[in-house]
Amino acid sequence: MRQRPMWAAAMTLAMLLPLVATDSRAQGTDASMKLKVGDTAPEFKLQYFDGHDLKDVKLSDYHGKKNVVVAFYIFAFTGG
Amino acid sequence: MKAFQQNLQKLEAADTQVLGVSMDSPFANKAFADQIGVTFPLLSDWGGDVTREYGVYVDKYKAARRINFLIGKDGKILEEQLDREAIDPTKIVDACERKKLNR
Repeated sequence: MRQRPMWAAAMTLAMLLPLVATDSRAQGTDASMKLKVGDTAPEFKLQYFDGHDLKDVKLSDYHGKKNVVVAFYIFAFTGG
Repeated sequence: MKAFQQNLQKLEAADTQVLGVSMDSPFANKAFADQIGVTFPLLSDWGGDVTREYGVYVDKYKAARRINFLIGKDGKILEEQLDREAIDPTKIVDACERKKLNR
């Protein structure tokens, strides 16, 4: 009976460790990233709503004109 | 996204366009932009094709990771910022301003 909490704690730790490891890797380097610094950014065409119409935006619209920050975020109405 | 808005003038002065991308609908993104006062486009990757192509789709969230790519005028990736690091745009602002000085 007394061994059970220990066992549960060990299991919990074992399950959490990979999560912690994955998280720290994501913070530090870009080893988990498909695209690396120096790669050509894939072309995209996406839309946004300006209040009246849906507007197209292509990455290539900015080639030779501007740098582009593409900021992926998880969902609207969340922080960050 | 708010942090980028706060630095938007500096980024624009350094020839840099900011584009937010999420898998929300264009209308949800417009409402979000209005709510937080963002004036740059928040693009809708409905279905997640671009999110997957950029390798930032996370199964667990069924959405993108919080990631910034700084892409140069030649279309090459200059900087990447992941997760918590991506919320602070200071490094990107610095990189853009540095690049401008080097021209």
